[in-house]
Amino acid sequence: MIELRNVIKKFAGRIAVDDLSFTVPRGEIFGLLGHNGAGKSTAIGMMLGQVWPTGGEVKVCGHDVQSNRRAALMQVGAIFETPVFYDYLSGWRNLEILSTYTAPTSKARIREVIEWVGLTGREQSKVRTYSHGMRSRLALAQALLPKPELLILDEPGDGLDPEGIHEMRQTILRLQRELGLTILLSSHLLNEVEQLCTRIAVLQKGKKVFEGNVADVKAARGRVALKTNNFTAAAKLLRERGLIIAMAEERFITLADGHSTADVTQALVSAGIAVEGVWQHEQTVEDFYMSLIRPPAAKN
Amino acid sequence: MFLAQLKNELWKLFGKKRTYIGFGAFLLAQTAMLCAFKYTKWQSDFEKLLNGNGYLASEFISVLTVSVVMLIPQIMLLMPLYATLVGGDLVAKEAEDGTLRMILSRPISRVRLLFVKWSAGIIFAIALVLALGLTAMSFASLLFPWKGMFVFAPGQAFSVLTAHEGLVRFIFSLLFMAVNASVMVSVAFMFSCFNMKPAAATILALSFLFLSMVMENIPFFDRYESWFITHHFKCWLLIFRDPAPWSQICQSEIILFAVSATAFVIGALAFQVRDIKC
Repeated sequence: MIELRNVIKKFAGRIAVDDLSFTVPRGEIFGLLGHNGAGKSTAIGMMLGQVWPTGGEVKVCGHDVQSNRRAALMQVGAIFETPVFYDYLSGWRNLEILSTYTAPTSKARIREVIEWVGLTGREQSKVRTYSHGMRSRLALAQALLPKPELLILDEPGDGLDPEGIHEMRQTILRLQRELGLTILLSSHLLNEVEQLCTRIAVLQKGKKVFEGNVADVKAARGRVALKTNNFTAAAKLLRERGLIIAMAEERFITLADGHSTADVTQALVSAGIAVEGVWQHEQTVEDFYMSLIRPPAAKN
Repeated sequence: MFLAQLKNELWKLFGKKRTYIGFGAFLLAQTAMLCAFKYTKWQSDFEKLLNGNGYLASEFISVLTVSVVMLIPQIMLLMPLYATLVGGDLVAKEAEDGTLRMILSRPISRVRLLFVKWSAGIIFAIALVLALGLTAMSFASLLFPWKGMFVFAPGQAFSVLTAHEGLVRFIFSLLFMAVNASVMVSVAFMFSCFNMKPAAATILALSFLFLSMVMENIPFFDRYESWFITHHFKCWLLIFRDPAPWSQICQSEIILFAVSATAFVIGALAFQVRDIKC
């Protein structure tokens, strides 16, 4: 559904996106991660034909965005971090206005979408009277109007309270489950990305530093949590015996190839160090993300 | 589809309170000027001028005469302000608010979007002038009779017209005023297409118009006056000359249409190559 090939974007000589390539296949929830200014919004802007790439190729729904923007965006919906509308008009009128920029849309379709997002009864109220959550729902409604196959969400959780974030997460899952949409999600909320996305790409200073499956990230050979009465002594012993290659935060060790937690337990017990617990620590996306963007000097 | 988009653009434009600032200001100004004309020495001075030139003042202090007297300062001072205010908002305000990004996530081309917006701006300019002309006549008809017309015309001391002829010329003058307002909207719209705040677009357009007016009035630039667009704005008063200088008017109107079209093209080119980011 989305294909970026060697995309470059420079703003006044400054590189915002550097040789970015990735593919989002149909039906996937793809996460785009990165710090502020990493190039996520610029990449999304290029997918939507709002930002012109300096080099490379951007294809959406099989069409080149630069040369055939209309065909590329015909079945694309997008939501941006802060839902903005014409506050002085009703929700219904906003949807009518936005729908005319894609294709003629029937009143029945607008009603259907309003019902889907749960705004029935408030559609005739002026948008200025809407809460942040209602604006988010209206943003979703406008994105769903053209019956999209692809939904691009740029920081949709920004400014939402925990309840709103929960609702957003459920909605995204519902969108994929009920409507079978392909979703590109750009977010700072790593926990959300972990729970929603099947695959992720991590950007740092405009460059892609990782692309892969979330399941692989979580299942990657991670750290082992070790609880003893003397972690420092235990870690030193294990390192001397070649059982571990690294330790961190006074509670994690990284096993050397060919060794298991059983080897660690046996070594510590035989050396007289009491072991209160040894277990495989599942790596979160946040752990993984931090390990990617943290400067090497800070790594243990 | 274009009509549906234009209708919605007009909903956006006329749904905003600030769109009506111009209409409100014109109503207030007209009321004030009407009262000033009626209840100060202004009317008696006018009568003296007519009588001094051999005309019966009571036959020419009429709805049409007073309407034009009321319109002159408003067209000179207020219309540029309100036309550029709306023209400057058309694109830049949407970019500032973030709604432009939402619109441009849809498969509408940038040129088409601009054309819809520009058309809405032109409709606003026409509506503003129509409202201005009609309210001037309505207000004047409350206090003055329907009779012949006396009007100062550029290049001629003044013109005296029958009521029927005066009405026809007044309708033409409204048409030319609408063209002037459209040019003002177009110039502000052009600046609005660049990456700038709406206020900056309005100020730049106003500066451009005032600069043109000031330079046009400097004697040194007399021979270049046709290069200044404010020179061509005078068509709305030239039409009252007897006989009306149609060739000069047509020439000026063509130039004004060309200025509008050029402003649109420059704006569209700037907007086409722009990156739209928050």
